[in-house]
Amino acid sequence: MDKLVAQYSRTHHHNEMYSEQEQEDFNSSVPPLSLKFSLPPVDNRAAFLRAMTDDHSNPSCPIKLAHGTTTLAFRFQGGIIVCTDSRATAGNWIASQTVKKVIPVSRLSRGEDKKSNEPTPGLLGTMAGGAADCQYWLRYLSQQCTLHEIRHKRRITVAAASKILANLTYAYKGYGLSMGTMLAGMTPSEGPALYYIDSDGTRLPGNLFCVGSGQTFAYGVLDAEYRYDLSEEEALALGRRAILAAMHRDAYSGGFINLYHVKEEGWVHHGFDDMNPEFWKTKLEKGEFSNVTSTL
Amino acid sequence: MPGFDFSNYNRNAALHARGVPLPKATSTGTTIVGCVYDKGVVIAADTRATSGPIVADKNCEKLHYIAPKIWCAGAGTAADTEFTTALISSNVELHSLSTGRDPRVITCMTMLKQHLFRYQGHIGAYLVVAGVDPTGTGLYTVHAHGSTDKLPYVTMGSGSLAAMSVFESTWKPDLDRQGAIDICAEAIKAGIFNDLGSGSNVDVCVIEKDQPTQLLRNYMKPNERPQKERNYRFARGTTAWLDQRVISKEDMKKYVTIETLSGNDDLATGDSMEVDT
Amino acid sequence: MTSLMGNQSRGETIGYSFSEPTSANVKQHSFYPYTDNGGSTLGITGSDFAILAGDTRSTSGYNINSRMVPKVFRIGGDDETGEGAQVLLSVVGFAADGNALKEKLDTMVKMYKYKHGKPMSVSACAQRLSTILYEKRFFPYYVHAILAGLDEEGVGALYSYDPVGSYEREQCRAAGAASSLIMPFLDNQVNFKNQYIPGSGAGHALEAVKAEPLPKDTVKQLVRDAFTSAVERHIEVGDGLQMMIITKEGIEEVFIPLKQD
Repeated sequence: MDKLVAQYSRTHHHNEMYSEQEQEDFNSSVPPLSLKFSLPPVDNRAAFLRAMTDDHSNPSCPIKLAHGTTTLAFRFQGGIIVCTDSRATAGNWIASQTVKKVIPVSRLSRGEDKKSNEPTPGLLGTMAGGAADCQYWLRYLSQQCTLHEIRHKRRITVAAASKILANLTYAYKGYGLSMGTMLAGMTPSEGPALYYIDSDGTRLPGNLFCVGSGQTFAYGVLDAEYRYDLSEEEALALGRRAILAAMHRDAYSGGFINLYHVKEEGWVHHGFDDMNPEFWKTKLEKGEFSNVTSTL
Repeated sequence: MPGFDFSNYNRNAALHARGVPLPKATSTGTTIVGCVYDKGVVIAADTRATSGPIVADKNCEKLHYIAPKIWCAGAGTAADTEFTTALISSNVELHSLSTGRDPRVITCMTMLKQHLFRYQGHIGAYLVVAGVDPTGTGLYTVHAHGSTDKLPYVTMGSGSLAAMSVFESTWKPDLDRQGAIDICAEAIKAGIFNDLGSGSNVDVCVIEKDQPTQLLRNYMKPNERPQKERNYRFARGTTAWLDQRVISKEDMKKYVTIETLSGNDDLATGDSMEVDT
Repeated sequence: MTSLMGNQSRGETIGYSFSEPTSANVKQHSFYPYTDNGGSTLGITGSDFAILAGDTRSTSGYNINSRMVPKVFRIGGDDETGEGAQVLLSVVGFAADGNALKEKLDTMVKMYKYKHGKPMSVSACAQRLSTILYEKRFFPYYVHAILAGLDEEGVGALYSYDPVGSYEREQCRAAGAASSLIMPFLDNQVNFKNQYIPGSGAGHALEAVKAEPLPKDTVKQLVRDAFTSAVERHIEVGDGLQMMIITKEGIEEVFIPLKQD
């Protein structure tokens, strides 16, 4: 009875503006990361989202989302090389040429303020597919990893971190998330470890992965030259060269070459270099890309 | 065979069914109006041509010649208005030559509607036909499907509602020449400012008995571009190039005939382009 | 905000991937909650300032809803005039979503200030905006947002967003209807893309012009030229230019008339 009375004794404008839940959200000092999403009031939400945002099946869809492309990572004797391009496209439009597609998944500090030459502890995640999906969920993963570190007083393994992400994407299967990400890290118990996780819920450990629309071009170069006993310089050069090949042939890849090396002590950044001078250097100094002529 | 070539029709229909978008035609999302007065008729148009949300031409001509005393304002697909009016203009000329009389507006309007009806609206021409002939003044609208109207004042195009509001509020019978020009220009301006498909300038055409027809191109220019704040001229050598080859005039002469024009020859001048100095 | 998550409606088949055809066993009238209100915005930063600008026209289809609807807002001000704000937000796309987004971020930033007794940093505000957008990942805000302010060092900071919250700090960004007209201009004039130093070398040795922060007056001129040019060629842009300049002295707001056709 009290419940009934309470239900009808509320003032009229009670439901106006923000709900109690929302007001709580405003008040909580930590923003609620994850697991609370508003959904459209329709039966088939996946179809709705597809109609509104999928520029592949519907080129005139109203909301064009930014998509990332061509990323690679491989394991070798000296650790793991992670390399990406930096282009984001929304339909045929190049939304950005300066996207950072390698996202440090580490402690509270995301390593953005660190000097580039000293290794930063933590994992690296890569971004392919929906830019927002990758950014958000890798940040969520950072949070979980940090909590793990605080609770257990040791760093999370790459296997465990990748499983958190895979479980998450599997839980959201069918909702329309789009991400293909690689997690790279080195922990005392695992050594160098590399995992591929995507929005279908796939989680694969492996030595070598290329993800994105330019993946085939990168695989071509990588498979031809890859050996596990590559030296550090050779490995860095190979990562660079494979991404360059993909940027050259894939219209949805381009911009800058973003190169990282994951070592025992942590990851090291090896530059964010414009592809254009890099391309001409490769062509003119090494005689590669002979399909392109520079003379009339 | 004269007329339209349908050889790609089936291919394009198949492509379209597979999701290939149709190429965009430049459409004159337009305001066009017409109004009769005591001794003649005035038609007017804006000068914006659009392709989707992009302005394709800032100062295009939407008033088309049919005969010396019959003019047409066109809305709809730019190419269709252009070619339909040109075709009918030729036929009207031939008709007047064979009959030995001045062409009538109603003849022209009938030829247009019969042509457009035959193509069932696929020719996207929406026209205002106006003129003076031995029977008096004529003012008609012709829709793409072939229907027509005869009224003392008419508007068409995407800005027709804005323009019609001007006529409905201020039009009165027995206007004089200047009164008709003013009300038409005002109606076009209503379209220019309130309809996104219309813009830039006002073109007016005045057709009067016993007077030469006057085409008042850019009768009003209410939308002149303000001066740019900065100069965007680049220093010579700013653009990178890989290699250059100079082809001498002697080499060119192997393939084409070259005639040199004197510097101040009128032949060498075209429309001057807007250039930063 | 209704959460429908734990409530799987009957007859729903969850699509596996985007390329699969939809199996629609429940017929539903198409749900289209979005309108494009046109307009364009742009932001440019300098060494000690950031500028956010937008036109003030609101359209739907070929009609003009209003000639004076600002798209740039002060976020986290002390009163309804926005006095004391240290962050600027511009939203373009669907105006209703944009307004909801602005109100929400504004509330968040104010709450932060009341709780912590200090204003929210721009980088924190930028991250918060990203999560706000992502909360509606499955029912997106139909907007392109740009956030501007001054960072901890007092350097101009500009963050641009896609509709579901992916974001990046940049020097300049154009969004909205005429973004494809303005952005190439900005690439060339702000980041000096495709410009080389004349005579610095032949062929491949030619040196590219280095991008460096521009002075405030130059940026103001570039913004005006970008908009007067966009007005010439895009039908949804016009009527007025609203420019907000944030410096350590505060926020300066300027309105400049644009062509109305």
